[in-house]
Amino acid sequence: MVEQTTIRQKAKEIVAREDVRHLIGWRKGTFGYRVSPYWVETPEDAEELIFSPLCSPNLTNYLTLEEKLPLPKGEEPDRRKTALLVKGCDSRAAVQLLAEKGIEREQVVLVGLPCQGVIDQLKLEEKYPEGSSGVNAEWNGETIRFTFPDGEKEFAREEILADDCLSCRYPNPVLADEMLGEEVEAWSDGKNAGVEELEKASVADRWAFWEKEFSRCLRCYACRNVCTMCYCEDCILERLNPNWMFRSVNHSENTAFHIARAFHLVGRCVSCGECERVCPAGIPLGKLNQKLVKEVREQYGFEAGVDPESIPFQASYNPQDQEDFIL
Amino acid sequence: MVEKVLRKDNWLNFIQALTDARDLWLPVKDGSMQKFAPYSEENKGALEEYTNSDVPPKVAVFPQTETMFRFQLGGQQVELPEGEKGKVFLGVRPCDARAMSIVDSVFQWDEDDTYYSDRREKTILIGLACHEPFLNCFCTSLEGSPGSTQGLDVLMVDLGESYYLKAVSDRGNSLLQEIGNVLDDASDEGKQADEIIKNAEEKIVRKIETGDITEKLKQLWEDPLWKQVSQSCLGCGACTYLCPTCHCFDIQDEVEGYEGRRCRMWDTCMNSEYTLHASGHNPRPSRRDRTRNRINHKYYYYVEKFDKIACVGCGRCITSCPVNIDIIDILSRVKEAL
Repeated sequence: MVEQTTIRQKAKEIVAREDVRHLIGWRKGTFGYRVSPYWVETPEDAEELIFSPLCSPNLTNYLTLEEKLPLPKGEEPDRRKTALLVKGCDSRAAVQLLAEKGIEREQVVLVGLPCQGVIDQLKLEEKYPEGSSGVNAEWNGETIRFTFPDGEKEFAREEILADDCLSCRYPNPVLADEMLGEEVEAWSDGKNAGVEELEKASVADRWAFWEKEFSRCLRCYACRNVCTMCYCEDCILERLNPNWMFRSVNHSENTAFHIARAFHLVGRCVSCGECERVCPAGIPLGKLNQKLVKEVREQYGFEAGVDPESIPFQASYNPQDQEDFIL
Repeated sequence: MVEKVLRKDNWLNFIQALTDARDLWLPVKDGSMQKFAPYSEENKGALEEYTNSDVPPKVAVFPQTETMFRFQLGGQQVELPEGEKGKVFLGVRPCDARAMSIVDSVFQWDEDDTYYSDRREKTILIGLACHEPFLNCFCTSLEGSPGSTQGLDVLMVDLGESYYLKAVSDRGNSLLQEIGNVLDDASDEGKQADEIIKNAEEKIVRKIETGDITEKLKQLWEDPLWKQVSQSCLGCGACTYLCPTCHCFDIQDEVEGYEGRRCRMWDTCMNSEYTLHASGHNPRPSRRDRTRNRINHKYYYYVEKFDKIACVGCGRCITSCPVNIDIIDILSRVKEAL
């Protein structure tokens, strides 16, 4: 585990560097179990940084989310680096961006934090309802300890961690300029991707399952916008000519949207679980993406976000690729 | 105005009476989400253990997608959709009913939006006063209350063994008379109900004094606070789609083969496409501009135009934001900025 003070100290050093513009981390949110992505601009700001099982947001997204607006005449763009606190999955997102040439290595400073998993808020709320005042949470071996207004409580991590964390194979950052804390052990050998039960169901049952889930979709696109891998400047969802997908919100269009997104993530998804976390309709998008992650690994032996020099999966071809699943 | 009492053991008769002449919608659980849906044998819904629907009941009058008319490519005529049956929305929280009465102003402003008005006219809202406010409720900061009747036709208050029902509009009055045979006369239940509402009001934790916000906003156009509060924004539509007063829509022609339909669907000012001109120019190019617009529209432009704040303090935008952008936090920064 990394001590909060170690992170803050390191953040202070990094933002004091001349070649660093800011460091993006997490701080306590305004209520309940929430944390906010937080921009540390000065060494003093670093005092608010936290790292706990509540720190779900994958901050790597902000590398590509940054808006590059036209500058006033004569003004030069700020080319200093962006520093980021990254968990295992977040670092994989950065690696995948590097492999796709979506970012440049010199652009970022990655501060790696070994992670023992972040909570699934819905699971936690079932055990203890979210309240107005913020709570502290910390990893404590097999459990996670919370400080609630009426005292401390501990829950077994299996019961409250996000699904993607339960099948996480990369709790330690795979790439970092500065690694903090001690490495932690991986949870899983990847054999269980959390989709096995659904895989056993018949095609009709699986269709019925997704039909019910997708019919609730509000098309707010929080899943797309929170996804580090969804960084196209021109998304097919906004195209009117050709009009790939109607704006009408109904089961058919919603399904088209989710399938299209899932396919664009094949061999790219790093299983950070953000899409599922942010969905206001509680659609288990992780299952969809985890299934594809599993297929790509089993059929092609490929994993996204582990090698910045790798050729992106969808851009590669190997004559030895298996074909036995092709109809 | 009529006051009645509904014994809980009479619930099914009450539902029956309401569904006889109209479609009944009530809060149901869909996965982890709470939303309004038509009552059916499978979808009985329940008013107990429900704080508020995740998707606001604005869907009663302003559905997420609606067909305005159908047409044939190359044809000369348009076909209007069939009129809908009257609806009863049961269990609407007072904040959401207030929201509808606020939004009425814009839909009936220069031109009467007949799609909206027609539904509004045909929809009866039976409110349910709040017992246990949700953690981000701040309705009392916006002239609302757990027992506000603005925009409602009937207000219901849960008394434990029974519900107290009070008509608060002429429509509500006639409805309670119409279904009077499943209801009992009220005696002093009104007093109990007032007590419950008062208690609920005291349980609201989050508050902000909103009186001077419009004046402040007028002076804060270029203030650095907008960058700070929007820095983490993802630009998704969760805050606006789940807002009971957000009312923007897009209109699209959707054509399949030779069949076409003109639809309108919710739009969100948090999406850059919302203000994108055909020329490629975008007057609101950044998430900072769009966040500022979301706040300004609710607390400044709407106030200037219609003399009311277009926010009812339901807290949905706060709860649903993936990155903890909190409108109460933004408003308090606005107040401190000058």
